Amino acid sequence: MAAEGDTVPDLPAIEAIELRREYGEVVAVDSISFQVRQGEFFAVLGPNGAGKSSLLHMLTTVVEPTGGTARVLGHDIVKDQAEVRRTLGMVFQDSALDERMTARENLNIHAVLYGIGRAEREEAIRHALAWASLEEVGNRLVRTFSGGMKRRLELARALMHRPRVLFLDEPTIGLDPQGRRHLWERIAAIRDEGVTVLMTTHNLTEANACDRVAIVDRGKLIALDTPAGLVATHGGAENATLEDAFIGLTGRDLRDEGASGRDQLLSFAKRGGELTR
Amino acid sequence: MSQETGVRSWAGIAPAVIWVMWRREVSRYLRDRSQMFGGLSRTILWLVILGFGIGAALREIEGYTYAEYILPGVVTLNVLFASLQCAISLVWDREVGLLRDVLISPSPMLSVALGKLLGGASISVIQGSIPLLFAPIVGLDLTVTSVLGAWGVMFLMGIFMTALGIVIATRLRTFEGFGSISNGVIQPLYFLSGSVFPMRGIIGGVGFLDVPADIRQELRRLGINAFGGGWIVQLPEWLQFLVYINPVSYQLDLMRFVLMNYQQLPLTADLAVTFLVPLAAAAIAAREIKNTLRATTRRRRGRKKPA
Repeated sequence: MAAEGDTVPDLPAIEAIELRREYGEVVAVDSISFQVRQGEFFAVLGPNGAGKSSLLHMLTTVVEPTGGTARVLGHDIVKDQAEVRRTLGMVFQDSALDERMTARENLNIHAVLYGIGRAEREEAIRHALAWASLEEVGNRLVRTFSGGMKRRLELARALMHRPRVLFLDEPTIGLDPQGRRHLWERIAAIRDEGVTVLMTTHNLTEANACDRVAIVDRGKLIALDTPAGLVATHGGAENATLEDAFIGLTGRDLRDEGASGRDQLLSFAKRGGELTR
Repeated sequence: MSQETGVRSWAGIAPAVIWVMWRREVSRYLRDRSQMFGGLSRTILWLVILGFGIGAALREIEGYTYAEYILPGVVTLNVLFASLQCAISLVWDREVGLLRDVLISPSPMLSVALGKLLGGASISVIQGSIPLLFAPIVGLDLTVTSVLGAWGVMFLMGIFMTALGIVIATRLRTFEGFGSISNGVIQPLYFLSGSVFPMRGIIGGVGFLDVPADIRQELRRLGINAFGGGWIVQLPEWLQFLVYINPVSYQLDLMRFVLMNYQQLPLTADLAVTFLVPLAAAAIAAREIKNTLRATTRRRRGRKKPA
């Protein structure tokens, strides 16, 4: 069955209705509702521990919500899991590649898992490698790749089965500026093809380039608007930036309370020892 | 045939998915020479050094040299290591590997699990075959039939142990836990399977091995395994009980039967356990793999606050 969204242009690509996820006593996502339009480039921005990944995991059927529901192109994330999975592509925050296999082999596994027929498979792999600028190294083991190459490969893999909605969980994390820029160009190309993109990020520059930004904190959706709209409403000064709006909404407290004391100390040091409390 | 998920499948069986997952396991194994080295070093340590070392003192064990007697046990040891190692790779595969991409795909998870199980079993057959290469050195004559039979038993044992390993792996929090699994699972299963000592029999007999091989075979058929000297031994009852409840005992006994025409447990029990236990274990492992990613997320949640 084809996605209903194929014939209903006004159908939201993603629709979350009072979506909630609890883990014991911890409320990771607290009754969040929002819509993402088809073809929209949508960012979910939030501090550490805000609930971004939990939200993404629910929308991609990795975990089931404990309350509310969501639909991806009209398909319920609990009742129509198979349909939702056919519709979406996903790039995880940590690499989800088999490093002991070649790029080509990784792509081949994905193609088989998504039912790309044998006749089209070779062409799909060739196209994915070309798209990621990895044609020359297709037969090399992934463990020999740089972080940027792995990220491009993952992005190309996520697009192989032509998903209509793409989820990116902090896709540029850990990349150097060159790698980030290269990857960002690829993401922009996806956007031009009309694929709906929902991306979680810490990076305010990246969030600024999105159509709309949802700011999530402590499991709640606290603001949703265009980047310019967020700055105008929450920036607080004439030359305010999205960062000002973000800090204004989420405060200046460190949010890595789940990290070890050593990590918190390093995090503090990276901020130049600035007093943040 | 249905095409509900875009993948050709019937009742959760998608041959293309099983094939690609099987090939992944085998390719990864063939590229990792350390596993093959491990299989070889275990064989040399147990079969050659221990086999000939203890064999020099025991002389005969149920009419076989000690090295001959423990050869099926060393095959079993290699199968246990290979299949558990394949299964335990799930731990890091789901944390930082390909498995997450597999688990959010529309492919039937039963087929993913079957690919993993068959991959683990195939690797077990390769690893288990290493000690068989030493059969001429220890003086055990192999035939095409006995090798094919041994491969069949290794394969089924591999399915069982890979499935058991998957069930364990889905409950492991860190890859470092593999060390305790090695000591806590493989060694008890190995030592309590009759691999290195018989449940009962004649040990240290004198002269039987000096009889020409064809006459020895004839005597064995008559139930004669020793001439004189030696000790009649029997395990204590509590130890016998542990051997009886260990499925590997029956699989090893069947392997010893196909390789040496010697057994200590009822053949029907050997066949029933060897064929039925892997099926049950595979069904449980398939269900566990389906729940793996959900379990991962729960564990991550337990470790730190969500991002």
